Amino acid sequence: MTTHSDRRRGATAVLAAATLLTVGACSGADTTSGTGGASADAAKLALSPTTPAAKGTLARADWLLEDEPDSLDLDTQGTSAGRVVLTNVCERLYQLQPDMTTKPFLASSAKTSADGRTLTLTVRSGVTFHDGSKLTADDVLWSLKRHADPDMEQSDEFGNVSSMKKTGADEITIGFKAPDALFTKALAGDAGIVWNKEQVEKAGQDFGTPGQADACSGPYALKNWKSGDSITIAAYGGYWGKKPLTREVVFRWAADSALVNALKTGAADGAYAETPNTAAALLKDKDIAQHYGPSTASLVLIPTARGGLGDERIRRALSLSLDRKGIADSGYGGLVEPWATPVGSGAWGYEKAGFQAAQKQLASLAPASPTADDLAEAKKLVKEAGTPGAPLVIGTDASQGRTVTANAVRAALQRIGLKAQIKTVPTSQFEEFYSDPQARDEIDLLVGDWYISKADPMGFYDNGLSDSSNNWVGFKDATYDKNVKKALATLDDAERASLAIDVQKRFADAAVWIPIAQVPTILLLDAKLTGPTASQAYLYYPWAAELGTKRSA
Amino acid sequence: MLARISRRLAGLLATLFAASFVIFAAVYAAPGDPAVFLAGGRDKLTPERLASVRAQYHLDEPLVVQYGRWLWDCVHLDLGRSFQYSDQVGDLVSARLPTTLQLVAYATVLFVVLGVGAGILAAVRRSTWVDSAIVGGTTLAASVPSFVAAIALVSLFGVQLGWFPVTGSGTGIAGTLHHLTLPALSLALGALAIISRVTRQAMADAAASDHVEAARASGVPERDIIRRHVLRNALGPIVTMCGLVMAGMLAGTVVVETAFGLSGIGSLLVGSINAHDFPVAQAVLLLMVTGYVVVTTVVDLVHPLLDPRVKEVRPA
Repeated sequence: MTTHSDRRRGATAVLAAATLLTVGACSGADTTSGTGGASADAAKLALSPTTPAAKGTLARADWLLEDEPDSLDLDTQGTSAGRVVLTNVCERLYQLQPDMTTKPFLASSAKTSADGRTLTLTVRSGVTFHDGSKLTADDVLWSLKRHADPDMEQSDEFGNVSSMKKTGADEITIGFKAPDALFTKALAGDAGIVWNKEQVEKAGQDFGTPGQADACSGPYALKNWKSGDSITIAAYGGYWGKKPLTREVVFRWAADSALVNALKTGAADGAYAETPNTAAALLKDKDIAQHYGPSTASLVLIPTARGGLGDERIRRALSLSLDRKGIADSGYGGLVEPWATPVGSGAWGYEKAGFQAAQKQLASLAPASPTADDLAEAKKLVKEAGTPGAPLVIGTDASQGRTVTANAVRAALQRIGLKAQIKTVPTSQFEEFYSDPQARDEIDLLVGDWYISKADPMGFYDNGLSDSSNNWVGFKDATYDKNVKKALATLDDAERASLAIDVQKRFADAAVWIPIAQVPTILLLDAKLTGPTASQAYLYYPWAAELGTKRSA
Repeated sequence: MLARISRRLAGLLATLFAASFVIFAAVYAAPGDPAVFLAGGRDKLTPERLASVRAQYHLDEPLVVQYGRWLWDCVHLDLGRSFQYSDQVGDLVSARLPTTLQLVAYATVLFVVLGVGAGILAAVRRSTWVDSAIVGGTTLAASVPSFVAAIALVSLFGVQLGWFPVTGSGTGIAGTLHHLTLPALSLALGALAIISRVTRQAMADAAASDHVEAARASGVPERDIIRRHVLRNALGPIVTMCGLVMAGMLAGTVVVETAFGLSGIGSLLVGSINAHDFPVAQAVLLLMVTGYVVVTTVVDLVHPLLDPRVKEVRPA
């Protein structure tokens, strides 16, 4: 799966008012930032993929999730909360590193044929599952086939796969219809988890629900999931790799203000914040360190072809006149960074320098704060396109950041002589905009967000293909389509990067989506502790194994 | 008595049956498409995928057919599997029920003891400064919504003073009491005014009755008059009101649960509604209706035992 919905993010929007009040009450409401805490400087956010290595061990860590995981079977229900837990318990054929590169992992080695149409994986020896049984090539093959089942979350990663076979005692060979540049990256994600076939089959329909054992080989084993209360994982004695520093992690969950309060009072040692606003409320707290890391997440405006925004010139005019820095400061406490592409810097899993330079170049199309020249250019574009008669409708939900963004968009549109109105829907309805063209008939623009699970911009740009269901404005560019498909089949990183930069420029020029800001991964951690990854790799990398104290005991 | 109880039981079942259909229809009519949540990530939201998900979960069938299917399973003690958690609905609910019940029980003890106590005090000291202080204080407490109370209590006693934990429901009796004190207090605060006001008024009415005057005239000590005649006669409305308020609380814990990070029935309900998790929303709502009906029925049955006069006017 290349993208994920963040359906959990707004689950408690019903209580948004209560939350905002709480956050305010805890740290003294600050009307200028609107997030209740001091505001960070969006332009100076330093993103580091790792935190300093820990020196001491920890008997037990209390960790917070924003929500109880839906399931611990990521094939049937993949949510962030489940991944944060399971990444310490389950291992994948490849592993995503904190710096967002990937390397073979449970596959001790991997070979791609010269024509790129076969991938041969050697299964690591000496690995045991948590029930003590040996991990075999049969488990690997069975797991891959389970992931590829059309009903499973990861099935779309296997679209190019023509065959999967066991070709030796410890060897699996995968055949492709066409070379697939993203496939090994998918194997570092949920499509590469190796399950213990016997355990999964034994649990049947109940696999992944509370009270069931895990079926994995990672540094931690699932000790206990008490539904509605907590999940405990404990270091696995028979682990084949490095012994984890923290022996036991207890996960609990709390939303918004309760999460902030639990960290503030020391009831929890850490959490990965799903919304920057949570972190903003804790900026003044000296006992909680905040670590920002690269992620692929971004805030975006997704236009539809309904009204004036069907015209490329109006879209570009909006992009030029939008006050991104204002949105970052007032909506997100300065913890997001104005950005000119629809994917965050965590997507640069290779050729970082090239992608970085390309992103900077696009900043003229998406300025942090519009200058007089930008506004003049925008007005000119609107004049050329002809001012649309009906007001443009901005779709949003009632969450704080989106509300601020929607108002900033309206202000930007008014600045260039366009009428706009805001349509606020409940969170439960908001997700429908992404899927239902009928729901989108009512809006010209969605205040959205997006992230991709693979560290490769090409995991995103297929959304701009002329036949993509996420191409709402009907963007059509034959060269774009050709280059996206070519890049997806190009295994050489440097060559793929140059194609990616080309399609990225075409996407930005046409303002198919309008980027606002990149959203970093935010790790909130007791100031005495250190070690876990700060990048988006926390969803796929055993971060708890490296959590420990700053000083050796 | 037995006939009355069985009649009550039949009424209860009829109420539940009607409520279950209304709830089913309401959850079904709520905006948003469950298939969107069931399909997975946003890039899988193609019309074909959504259609196949709808078929898989029988969401494409007419409402009445879906309801019939649900009722059939329900009669066979199968509440189905959660769309969101793929766990049995029964397991999900039973894991969270104790927290909510403990919370409501604790809040009930608080508002009964404090509310009735304050009401008695106000009635006994009628038209003095004590009475005014109680009426004023409880009115103020009642005007504070429970989420504001929760926020104030958390920031003062949880975050600033550190006396009480701010999340979780604790383990063991002492731990549970420690964890649930603030949530129960915020829940009970609003009920205090109602209960103390009802107690005060019921006591005043009872005190004005003829036999109290007669008892007082014949020299019975004031203490005994209040305890044996006034309070006893006032108990009916007090117990009824306590029962109603407590029954209402069963459905009203969600805000407090969220503010204190408690995984109870209330937060399960909100989560299931947001995720269009029909089987869970249906079960939780039905449970709340059942709770309400059972508590009010029990109050009705207990009422005549406390006040023999009630039985006489009721047709046998």
